[in-house]
Amino acid sequence: MSSLKVHINDLLACPDCDLLLEQRHLEPGRKACCPRCGHVLYAPKRNSVDKTLALALTGLILFIPANFLPIMTLDTMGFKQAGSIFDGIRVIYESGYFFVALIVGLTSFAFPFVKLFLLFYVSLHLKLKRYPHDLPLFMRWYRHLDEWGMLEVYMIGILVAIIKLHHIAHIHYDFGFFCFIALLFVALASSVSMDKHEFWERIEEKPA
Amino acid sequence: MMSESEIITAREAGFFLCHDCHKLIADVGEETPERCPRCNAAIHLRKPNSLTRTWALVLTSAVLAFPANILPIMKVDFLGTAEYSTIMDGIIYFFTEGSYGIGIIILTASVLVPCFKIIGIILILLSIHYKWKTWLRHKTLLFRAIEFIGRWSMLDIFVIALLQVLVNFGNLTSIETAIAATYFTGVVLSTMFAAITFDPRLLWDA
Repeated sequence: MSSLKVHINDLLACPDCDLLLEQRHLEPGRKACCPRCGHVLYAPKRNSVDKTLALALTGLILFIPANFLPIMTLDTMGFKQAGSIFDGIRVIYESGYFFVALIVGLTSFAFPFVKLFLLFYVSLHLKLKRYPHDLPLFMRWYRHLDEWGMLEVYMIGILVAIIKLHHIAHIHYDFGFFCFIALLFVALASSVSMDKHEFWERIEEKPA
Repeated sequence: MMSESEIITAREAGFFLCHDCHKLIADVGEETPERCPRCNAAIHLRKPNSLTRTWALVLTSAVLAFPANILPIMKVDFLGTAEYSTIMDGIIYFFTEGSYGIGIIILTASVLVPCFKIIGIILILLSIHYKWKTWLRHKTLLFRAIEFIGRWSMLDIFVIALLQVLVNFGNLTSIETAIAATYFTGVVLSTMFAAITFDPRLLWDA
């Protein structure tokens, strides 16, 4: 039980196997893994707050065109049909599958937006060294919403749809398509650049 | 490898680990706060009722998997004749068309991943129930894999949403969602929630 002499703030526990470990300082770019179960405990990033702020803001700007502008136009025998990501939710709703429409709407549209907004809000306040009382709450929401934003799954869905349709019709890629790809990369980069460990420590260290 | 004597868990040392922000909180008996001082999440030693909830959700998804695979997921209208297709029909279509790559992607996302998740979680739950103490690291890895791939099953639903928007040429041809989509979404949701309610530390506690 010698480790108990160490201060509690220098300890951490693995969330996957509960192993108690001593926290060591790591250079950015390296990561600490649990020796017992292999869970990545923390992985410091260089300029995490700045990067996250920039990427989340870019993502928010791209969000509207990526979701509301048509991503592609199908052209077959003189008929043309264009559609956006948002139309996908609308048509499922209109055909009466409310539950499916709700889940598709949340995972492809609402949650990715809320995630970007939460990252923007938290990193902006950390950057400005302001600590409103809802910062911890927003960090918790982000943690719980993290896996429910499914832009990358949607991107593969778009690719599958393209392969399915390119035999039967000519496909024009519209502006929304490129915005969506950009949004996907920016959103992924923003969650990768966010160092949860550092964000939580900064929130905790706020000047009283 | 560490020797047995070095291994001490947070629980044995008298610490709670906050589920949300991973802060360690010392257990001081009656005085222990009910909420995390850093993030205000409720503090538990382990996720509450983890095994019961996970069992309930994984069995729900196993039950929903039947209508999801048997009933049609997509309705294709071509010149006035409606044709319904199930998830499997869609996969067979790609293989007969010669698009093996895409067939394998859909097969993986819609059939193999849900099966893998359901069987994997049941295996982990049984291993806790019968206190099988071997392969703990591998079972934790299996759980992390289940957590990671959970969301990818939504792929087929997104494809149908896109097809319904784009393939809509009035009476000529159109594609619509069909009833199995609801069940399939239910399968994805309940397996994802099963992974969320499960606490992998229970594997190591045994």
